[in-house]
Amino acid sequence: MGNLKRRNLLKLGAATAALGFPAIIRAQPKEVVVLGIWPQTGAFSDVGPILDRGMRMALEERDMKIQGRPVKYVVRDSGTQAGAATRRVEEAVDGEGAKFVIGPWSSGVALAVSEVAKRKKVFHYFSGGTEDISGSRCHRYSFQWAASPYTAAKTVVDNFMKANPKARRWHLLVADYAFGWSVEKYIKEVGKTHGLEFVGADRHPLGEREFSNYVQKAAANRPDAVAMINFGLDAVSGAREIFNFGLTPKVPLIMTWSSGVEELVQLTPEIRENIWVGSNFYYTADTPVAKKFVASYQQKFGNPPGYAPSAAYGMTRMMLHAFDKAKSVEVRDVITALEGIEVNDLVGRMRVDPKTHQTLRPYFFMRCKPKSAMKHATDFADIIATGDTPLPAEYAACKDLGGF
Amino acid sequence: MNRATIAILVAVVLLPFVVRPVIAAEIWLFAIFGLGLNLLLGYTGLLSFGQGTFFGSAAYVAGWLLKHYAINVFFALGIGIGVGALSALLVGYLCVQRSGLYFIMLTFALNQLFFFIAYQWTSVTGGEDGMPGVPRPALLGIDFKDPLAYYIFVAALFLISLWIMKRIVESPLGRILQAIRENEVRAEAVGYNVARFKLLAFVIGGAFSGLAGVLYAMLFGIVPLEAIGFVSSGNVVFATLIGGSGSLYGPIIGSFVFIWLSESMSVVWERWPLLLGVAFVIVVLFFRGGVVEAWSRFWLWQSSRQKA
Amino acid sequence: MLYALMGLGLSLITGVLNIPNFAHGALFAIGAYLLVTTVGFIGNFWLALLVAPLGVALVGLLIEYLGIRRLYAAGHDYQLLFTFGLALILSEGIIVIWGPVGFSHLPPAILRGGVDLGFTFYPKYRLFVMGAAGLLILATWLFLEKTRYGAIMRAGIENKEMVSLLGIDIHKLFTAAFALGAYLAGIAGALTAPIRGINPNMGVDMLGIAFVVVALGGLGNLLGAIAAGLLIGIAQAVVAAYWTEASTAVIFAVMALVLLIRPQGLFGIR
Repeated sequence: MGNLKRRNLLKLGAATAALGFPAIIRAQPKEVVVLGIWPQTGAFSDVGPILDRGMRMALEERDMKIQGRPVKYVVRDSGTQAGAATRRVEEAVDGEGAKFVIGPWSSGVALAVSEVAKRKKVFHYFSGGTEDISGSRCHRYSFQWAASPYTAAKTVVDNFMKANPKARRWHLLVADYAFGWSVEKYIKEVGKTHGLEFVGADRHPLGEREFSNYVQKAAANRPDAVAMINFGLDAVSGAREIFNFGLTPKVPLIMTWSSGVEELVQLTPEIRENIWVGSNFYYTADTPVAKKFVASYQQKFGNPPGYAPSAAYGMTRMMLHAFDKAKSVEVRDVITALEGIEVNDLVGRMRVDPKTHQTLRPYFFMRCKPKSAMKHATDFADIIATGDTPLPAEYAACKDLGGF
Repeated sequence: MNRATIAILVAVVLLPFVVRPVIAAEIWLFAIFGLGLNLLLGYTGLLSFGQGTFFGSAAYVAGWLLKHYAINVFFALGIGIGVGALSALLVGYLCVQRSGLYFIMLTFALNQLFFFIAYQWTSVTGGEDGMPGVPRPALLGIDFKDPLAYYIFVAALFLISLWIMKRIVESPLGRILQAIRENEVRAEAVGYNVARFKLLAFVIGGAFSGLAGVLYAMLFGIVPLEAIGFVSSGNVVFATLIGGSGSLYGPIIGSFVFIWLSESMSVVWERWPLLLGVAFVIVVLFFRGGVVEAWSRFWLWQSSRQKA
Repeated sequence: MLYALMGLGLSLITGVLNIPNFAHGALFAIGAYLLVTTVGFIGNFWLALLVAPLGVALVGLLIEYLGIRRLYAAGHDYQLLFTFGLALILSEGIIVIWGPVGFSHLPPAILRGGVDLGFTFYPKYRLFVMGAAGLLILATWLFLEKTRYGAIMRAGIENKEMVSLLGIDIHKLFTAAFALGAYLAGIAGALTAPIRGINPNMGVDMLGIAFVVVALGGLGNLLGAIAAGLLIGIAQAVVAAYWTEASTAVIFAVMALVLLIRPQGLFGIR
């Protein structure tokens, strides 16, 4: 240490400044800047790229123009971390002039991003499990695209029971966070109307990899059906272990809130046998928009889209509908236009509840096919029903969206 | 005033014009965090892999009070420093009894425990979702919601922290800590209660970490779970090592490099952690003193070329 | 059982080289990925199981030769930084090569399905893994206890200077120890693939547990690592029965406790 280092530091300081941090690219005043905050690193890094695809496809359908103005589509890495995501969304809003934010993917990060949206007064659309965005943490700037956990639970339970009226003893395996608890609550509520008996309910921490203990406990209860309320890798690991321990295919497994393709592709046909899947999207959905989207996606990328890219695509499309209706690119106008909008879009009839900002739309219920019935490598399941019962008013936790 | 100080003052003044004030503020507060760690790592030779414990605990406690009891900024800072120091006292007391790899693993294990508590105690911390809605109250009439105003506040605190740390390391205490790093047995033999000095280093480091934690909570308005976890603990260690743990200014440079890398790289290539890994490897193999060493070596090479 | 394997490998490395190997988890993951790729090439699970870990051992060898060799005197912080950087490079490298999406790999046909043990139905493949891991541990232990090379390694843990004074090339010893540790990690990963599936982050959780095993067993205490690995597996199952969320966290609590009370580990002697 000593003089040498001290003198050099002056030069180092100057050089650092000269190196330059990322240049401040100010958006042209005419541009509309939209931000996709997607997980490119961290636990959900497999989903980041496909979310980007979905959003990009929707924007490209409009030739990257909204209301005659060019669209600048900016992507940032949420890192699946609330802190990093907050920082990057703020940077995009301040530095790039982003006024319309779509994403992220994980619920916890979504709440953080929603806070930023409220603080920075930018439009925010999220698709995910947490009820809070259209519930206890609702505010004027955030919208929820995924079906309400209540809608999901009702669709799944009602239709499963239609197909398996005798399966009354259920064991639940729940991911231990707010989303898991809310779906669990609703399954139990709806289950009452079917006379279900919940012989067991275990919670597992997010990111659990060792499911053997949980599966053994489930098996010990001798259930007629096992319902999993978890997501992504947790769901895949759980399904795999349930198969390894011989529960499926004898006992049906219900994946209540699944990504569909993204999770099913990580399993094998043997594991998938007798799995029933509830999802916000499945690629065999029978709507004109979905058909076009799936065909285009498949042509570009080789495999069918799952929930992730369809959510990004769907949210962007809803946002574009709002732009059309508002005939303006101001955040407030777009929000007001989105509230109460009714369109036939990706999953069918879709309506945005102006009081809670929840998108009311169908939820899909599928049954996985055994290997012999699969017509091609990605023919995982058939849609057997959809349901769109909205959350009953007595459960609604969003009392007041507030103003701008 | 020496050159280094001038360089830093220049940087403090110019930075918010080169990057967003928010990022600039984060750089300085992370530097405070690094300074705290480096007292342990660089000066005392203790690799604490659990600094996130103090950073995160301070952030949660101060954040909670700010949110629910609307305390003022000074009080929040005080709480942050206090919680940081107190948690460091607890953890330090347990850890200084061990050394080497055991010490490192123990700091890590205790950090994991705190992480688990934060994860489980969802009613307070929000668990996985984090604790959002941390306000940034005004101080003496200055509205801190303005990013530039808050930046000035953070930068000022950084300068004060740097000055304090400089005084500490140049004081007899600083020299004793370095003596412990060089040869613990001899320091003990000469009559210093090594364990107590290590503990003191912990507490001071914890105080700095706590200050950084509160500033972080107020900067982003949220206390995320990763603030108290391995992410936090690991990042500050790596940033400091990259900057150069052998110098007072190392953590500052490290903070710059680390935050700049993670921000600019993430936009360019999703697999940027790979580059980060490469950076670590290069630093360890060739520039163990970090950027500080690389720079002075380069300068030596330059001047020797000029002479020839 | 798998915990014991991982712990054994890591204990060997930390014991002989006195380096915290943060890349151990990544080596585990590579073992799994190599297994699947090898099966893809040659179509035979058993052969792949033999070959894939050798690939990991090779990676370990290269790491030691090119990198760690220079770091013996460097101090734990740098070794840590290095192995951590390596872990990043390896795991991001996995994503670059194999993509970010995980996949499943069924066990070979003979080992599918399960055995009805009366009180529970247990997958055949898991029983196989227990047996295989047990055999491996036994083989490793025999190697270390009964052969000359093993004795040299153990001596290297105890007293490096003595070993080099006795004329044994300490560098070769270190390389061999690291390669063996990597092999154990690799085969643990390969064995795990059909159970836990394959994804880029699979090494991360294993790494934490491996360190806990090493801490419990005592640094450098190989038998201790084995015993600790078994203990932790059992403890996790027991805790999971009562307080499922805590089953992973409890492990760290135990680690902290042991380090505080008995740093030489539950089974250490020094």
